[in-house]
Amino acid sequence: MRTTPMSGTPISLSVNGTAYTAEAEDRTLLSDLLRHGLGLTGTHVACEQGVCGACTVLVDGEPVRSCLMLARQADGCRVETVEGLAEDGRPAPLQQAMTEEHGLQCGFCTPGVLMGLTYAERAGLSAEEAVTEVLRGHLCRCTGYAGIRAAIERHWQGEGAPA
Amino acid sequence: MSAPDTGGFIGRAVPRVHAPRLVRGQGRFVDDIDDTGALHAVVLRSRVAHGRITRFDPAAALAGGEALLVLGPDEIERFTDPIPTAWRIPGQLTGTVALGDRTVRYVGQPIGLVVARSRALAEDVAEVVAVDIDPLPAVVGLTAALAPDAPRLYPEAPDNTGGRIHFGDDPAALEAVLAAAPHVVEREFEVQRINHSPMEPRGLLAEWIPATGQLTVHSSTQSPHAVRQELATALRLRVDRVRVVTPDVGGSFGGKVTLYVDEALVCLAAMRLGRRVKWIEDRAENLPSSPQCRGQRPRARLALDEDGRFLGLAAEITGDLGAFAIQAGSGPFQVAGLALEGPYRFPRAGATVTTVHTNTVPTGAYRGYGMQEAAWVRERLIDEAARELGHDPVRLRLHNLLGPDELPYTTRTGLTYDSGDYPAALRRAAELARERARASTATVRRGVAVTASVEITGFAPSALLELFRIDWAGWESTRVRVNQDGTVTVFAGVIPVGQGIETTLAQIVADRLGVPLDWVAVELGDTATAPYSDLTSQASRSVTLAGGALVRAAARMRERMHALAAAHLGAPPDEVVLDGAQFRWPAGNAATAWSEVAARGWRGWGRPDPDRIRLEESVDFDPPAITYSYSAHGAAVAVDLETAEVTVEDYWTVNDSGVLVNPAIAEGQIVGGVVQGLGIALVEEAVHDPATGRPLATGFTDYILPVCADVPPVTVEHRCTPSTVIPGGFKGLGEGGVIPAPATVAGAVAAALPQIAHRLTATPLKPERIWAALSEAKEPAGAEEHPA
Repeated sequence: MRTTPMSGTPISLSVNGTAYTAEAEDRTLLSDLLRHGLGLTGTHVACEQGVCGACTVLVDGEPVRSCLMLARQADGCRVETVEGLAEDGRPAPLQQAMTEEHGLQCGFCTPGVLMGLTYAERAGLSAEEAVTEVLRGHLCRCTGYAGIRAAIERHWQGEGAPA
Repeated sequence: MSAPDTGGFIGRAVPRVHAPRLVRGQGRFVDDIDDTGALHAVVLRSRVAHGRITRFDPAAALAGGEALLVLGPDEIERFTDPIPTAWRIPGQLTGTVALGDRTVRYVGQPIGLVVARSRALAEDVAEVVAVDIDPLPAVVGLTAALAPDAPRLYPEAPDNTGGRIHFGDDPAALEAVLAAAPHVVEREFEVQRINHSPMEPRGLLAEWIPATGQLTVHSSTQSPHAVRQELATALRLRVDRVRVVTPDVGGSFGGKVTLYVDEALVCLAAMRLGRRVKWIEDRAENLPSSPQCRGQRPRARLALDEDGRFLGLAAEITGDLGAFAIQAGSGPFQVAGLALEGPYRFPRAGATVTTVHTNTVPTGAYRGYGMQEAAWVRERLIDEAARELGHDPVRLRLHNLLGPDELPYTTRTGLTYDSGDYPAALRRAAELARERARASTATVRRGVAVTASVEITGFAPSALLELFRIDWAGWESTRVRVNQDGTVTVFAGVIPVGQGIETTLAQIVADRLGVPLDWVAVELGDTATAPYSDLTSQASRSVTLAGGALVRAAARMRERMHALAAAHLGAPPDEVVLDGAQFRWPAGNAATAWSEVAARGWRGWGRPDPDRIRLEESVDFDPPAITYSYSAHGAAVAVDLETAEVTVEDYWTVNDSGVLVNPAIAEGQIVGGVVQGLGIALVEEAVHDPATGRPLATGFTDYILPVCADVPPVTVEHRCTPSTVIPGGFKGLGEGGVIPAPATVAGAVAAALPQIAHRLTATPLKPERIWAALSEAKEPAGAEEHPA
C-alpha cells in the first residue's frame, strides 16, 4: 500500500493576493509547497540551509527563507513571491532596474534578491542599507554583485523610488 | 513591425533579452519543468572514502512498498557501459568512468539509486537500503598519496601517480639554464580544491518511451550534445534515440560539462521503469560529491640575469585527479603547464605535469582552467624575484613582457599569441595603482600590486585537438533562418549558462543582417534542433566561435535577401539598399518590404538559384588558431594586523578581448570572474578530513563564498585589438577575470607585508594562514616600527 505523497493537513494561505487551500504534510517546506504544490516555480531553492537567500519570500510582509519554514507555519498567512511583483502585467520598477543594470546573469538567485530588496524598499531602508542589511544576506555566484548594486542605486534614485 | 533600428548592434550595451523573463520568476530551470506524474530519485552514495562493497541489499527498502526501483552495483553494471573520457594524459590509469564499480574511492561516490513517488519518500527508503562496505585505508591529499608507504588506490599504480607529460624545453636544457643563471627564485605553491558552487546544482528529468526506445533528458548541463553521446554509450543506445534538452541553467562554471555517473543512473532508472524520473541535486550532495576543481601543487623556478631579464621558467606540477579521471580530469593541470609563461618572454621554459590519485571526489574543469594556477605560480615568482633582487615589480614585468612588435609569438610550450599590446595594458594598470594606493596605519597595512596574464579563448582548432589526441570537436555550427514574416531565428550549438549568449548572438546577427534586434530570436540547447556542438559554452568560446560563424552566416543571408529583393524590383543588386524594413531601389524609385521579400522567398518565387529555396544559411566554423585575450589586473588590499584579515579595498582591470559585442555583458563576465578569483584568493576551500576523507563542507555555512561585503568596486577598462583569426574580430572573455585575481591579491598582500611575502604561496589567504606567517616572521604587531 502506497501513501499519497502530498497528503496531509489542509492549510489556507494567500499567495500574491490569491487565496489557496492546499494539503501539506507536516514536513513539507513552504518552498516546496509554493513550487511543487502551487506551481509557483519562480521561488528557487539553492542551499536548503537558509544561507543563500535564493528562496526568500515575504510572509505577512517579513522576509523569510522559504526553505526553512514549514508550509503549515504559513497557514493563514499572506505570502508574496516574485510572481506577484509585476503590476498590471508590467515589471515593477525594481525588476526593471535589475534588467537595465544587468543585475542578473543566470538569474537563479534573482527572485530571492528581488524579494529581499522589496522588503528593504517597503521598510524605508536607504540604498546603502539595502546593500548592507539585505543584499549581504544573498549569494550570487555570477555577477560579483556589481550589477545588483547598480540596480539598487538606480532604483533608489529613480522615479517611484523609496523616500 | 515597428520602425527598425538597423545595424550598429555590435558594441552596444543593450539589456539581456532573457532578463525580463527571469526577473518575473518565469525562468525554466530543470526543477521548474512540470513534473506531474514523474517519479523522484535519490542517489545512494558511499559514506567511506575507500572500500569494497560487500553487500547491497534492497530487500527492506522494497518490502515497504514505497520504492518503485532500487538500483545497486550489480544491476547498474549489467545494463551500462563505462563513460569514456576525452582528454587523457600519457600513462593515465583510467580511460573510462565505470558506473557499477564495487570498489568505492571517495565519500559521496554514487553506488545506487532509489526511486519513489516523491523525493521525501525516496529519501525515507534510501535510509533502509542495506549497504556494507569493507573499508580500506584512505589516501587524502597529495602528500599522503605520494608518501613512500601510501596505500594504493589502484594496484597497477604503486605510487598512486596516474600519468605524466612534459611541455616546453627539454628538462636537461632547462636544468642547464637554471644551473648557470645568476639568480633563481624557487617556491613550492599550492592551489586548493574549489567547489564550482553554481547557485543551481545539477539535476535532470529523464523520460523513456518504451515503444520507441526514445530517451529524452532535460538536464542542467553545459554540454547537451556531448551528454547525448555519453548517454548513448553508457546506456547502450543509438545516438538518434537520445535527445538532451538544456533548459535555463543556473550557473555552471565548468561543473556541468559532461555526463556524471549519478545522472546516468537517473536515466537508467527511467528506462527500467518506462517512466519519467527526476533528480535534483541538493547542496549537501553538490558540495561534497559533485566534481571539484583546482587542487594542484606546482614547484617552480624562475631564473634571471643581473639585469632582471628572465632566462628560464620551470615547473613540476602535481595535480590531484581524485579517485579517477573524469572527462578531462588532467586537462587543467596540463593547461597549467602549457600556459605557464603567460605574456612574458622566456628564452627557455617548460613544465612537467604529474597526476595523482587520491580518495577524494574527482577534479575537473573550472573557470580559469589551469591558466589561473599558471598565473598564480608565475606572478608570485615574479613578485618574489623583484623583492629578492630589489627590482620594482612593475618595471621587472615591463622589462620582460612581450611587446606588440614581437607578436605573433610562439611560447616555449607552443602557444602562438596573435595580437595585442601587453605592456600598454600593464602600464595603465600601474598608473591606476599609483592613483589608488592608500597609506597604512598603525594596525592596518596596505599594499597594491599589478599582474599581467593571457587567456586562451575560442578553444580550439579541431586539427590541434586531433594532434593532441583529445577526443573533442573544436568547431561550432550555426544556422540563420529568415522566417516567412521576415523575423529571424538563429540556431547555435552553444548554450546559455548566464553569460548572456542569447543576447550577444542576436546582436551579431541583427547587426550583420541589418534588421532590428527584436526581430531576432536565438534558439539553443536542444539536440533535436540545435546544430552540433561538442564543447559548447566552455573555454571562452561561445561568442568567438558561434559568433564568428554567425558573422559569416548572417552576411550570406543578407546577400541572398538582397538578391531576392533586387530580382523582385527588377533592379541590379548593387543598386538596392536596405533601409529599415524596406529594400529600396532609388534609381528605379521602387521599394519592397523585407517581410515581403521573405514571404516571396519561402514561396520559391523569383529565386536566382533553382536548388536554393529555404531562407536558411548554415555555417560551420573551425578556428584556424586559438585567439588570445590578455589583461593587466591591479588590487589594493588592507591587512588588519590584529585579526590577520585581508580586505580587498579596490580592484581594477585593463582588458583586451578584441571586438566587444556587448560591453555591459563583457563587464559582467569580467567582474563576475574577478569575484570568483577573490573567492579563491581569500575564502573558498574544499577541505577533506585527512584521516577519513570526509568532506568537511556540506553546506554554504562551511563552504564560504564571497558576499557583497567582500567585494570592492571593480573598475573595468577595455582595449581593443581585433582578433586576426575570428570573423568579427572577437576574442573570448569568460575566464580572464578569474585568471590573475588570486595572484594579484596575493601580490598586494606581499606588498603590504613584505616580511611574509615568501610565505604567500598557497590560497586561500585566510586569517589563520596570514597569522601563522606573521607569527613565524616574529612581527611584534608591527605598530611601533610603522607609525601611521
